Amino acid sequence: MYSKEELFLAISTVIDPEVGFNLVEMGLIYDASCDVDGNAYVKMTLSTKACPMHQLIQQWVKEAVLKMANIKSVEIDLVWEPEWNITMADEHVKQALSRG
Amino acid sequence: MFPISQDFAPPFKLISPFFILGSLFYLLSAIYIFFISAENLFVLDTKIVGFVHLFLLGFIMMTIFGAMAQLVPVVLEVGHFGVELFYAIWPLLGIGTIMMVFGFVGYPMLLPFGGVVVLIAMMIFVMEIFLTIKKIKKFNLVMKSILISNTFLFFGVILGLVMALGYSGLITVDINMLLRGHLFLVIIGYIVITIMGLSLVLLPMFGLSHGFSHKPLERAVLMVGTAVILVVASSFYPLPILEYSGYVLAILGLCIYFYFINTIYKTRARKEIDIYAKSLMFSYFSLIASLILALLYFLFGAQELLLSSGWMMFFGFFAFVVTGHVYKIIPFLVWFERFSPLVGKQRVPMLADMVPKKSSSAQLLFGAIGVVIIAVAILLQDEKLIKAGASFLLISTLAFVKSVFFMINYK
Repeated sequence: MYSKEELFLAISTVIDPEVGFNLVEMGLIYDASCDVDGNAYVKMTLSTKACPMHQLIQQWVKEAVLKMANIKSVEIDLVWEPEWNITMADEHVKQALSRG
Repeated sequence: MFPISQDFAPPFKLISPFFILGSLFYLLSAIYIFFISAENLFVLDTKIVGFVHLFLLGFIMMTIFGAMAQLVPVVLEVGHFGVELFYAIWPLLGIGTIMMVFGFVGYPMLLPFGGVVVLIAMMIFVMEIFLTIKKIKKFNLVMKSILISNTFLFFGVILGLVMALGYSGLITVDINMLLRGHLFLVIIGYIVITIMGLSLVLLPMFGLSHGFSHKPLERAVLMVGTAVILVVASSFYPLPILEYSGYVLAILGLCIYFYFINTIYKTRARKEIDIYAKSLMFSYFSLIASLILALLYFLFGAQELLLSSGWMMFFGFFAFVVTGHVYKIIPFLVWFERFSPLVGKQRVPMLADMVPKKSSSAQLLFGAIGVVIIAVAILLQDEKLIKAGASFLLISTLAFVKSVFFMINYK
């Protein structure tokens, strides 16, 4: 059984190769939980619906969580509500992206 | 859960020939300019018509078709009807284009053959897109734009073949009458509306823009689409009101499109001015210059203004929109194929690392200078300026070819 923070830490190893930041600091991971049997659940979004890496990013998230000991399965819930925007990202991401 | 296409990335070997050939045709277009002299600067001069086909079919269409192979499943959210059909498109389009160019510059009998080969390539493309669109249940603005643009391409190519048959003397048709319909269907109807539709996906995706209204783009697509219909109708029913309302509507539609682009630009979170952003900035500067020159042409009627407007639209707007996106699309495809399986196992490059800084900057700088010099050369009908501009463009296109090969072979 892992906490939300521990799951977020594992997912933070997944980096978006287009912007160079991890999914957690981008604010793309909305929620994560895990039951006693080792079944994990991740609620996430993407910066745009038309992202060509849709499947790949979800697969990376799944693999990152499955690397944790005793995790048996991962369910990814890709949602579009609330819609992601830059205010959801960490402060250092906002600052880095806003530099011209 | 959002439905996701199972065919996001077609095999890279299927798409790479489009980009390689497209870049080589871009280079050939720049070389071709050295053979154009000031006395050729008339809209219907065969050397100019040959150049337009070399550039638009060989470079712009070839690259757009390659990009669409990857983008269609992404924007339509369904897999291709038959992605393997793209293996047939690039050889046919390449061969047909070369035959047509030779047909225009001195061997008119090649024109119908080249025209038929291009027609087959385009029909395969259009039919594949139509059959892919058929799988969609709910249409959004991007999908509508792709449907509209491909319908215009379908009719534009048929009109083009009729003209090619007429030009080579096989049938009797009034080529001048059909010309503006063909031009509007293919250039404004297909290329411009495709660029407009994809803007809604690509610009916010790369700029991380949110919270802008889609309404201006909807209006712009509607106006430009109506403009195409009016101008085509004027090819068959020569009423000046039809023709001129079409021109005015097209210019207004493009102005609204520019306003829409500006709103996306203002709402972007990612302010980085990379080669992509710079290329798009120059392309939109060219679009504005082209629209101003077109307006001046309507006021003063000088053909140099029309040619210069067309030049800025083609080598300024189209070329830089396309090259800018190539710097995003090729690294993604190469990364997806070569590096995505290594994620989590070893250090992989970021997409931006795969863009060659020096050659891409050289392409942009020399290209922008060359485009402006030739626009001035056309206005002044100055022989030396044409060659000077062509020299800049030659360096630019060589740098682009180098960039394309660098990105494709990135290891």
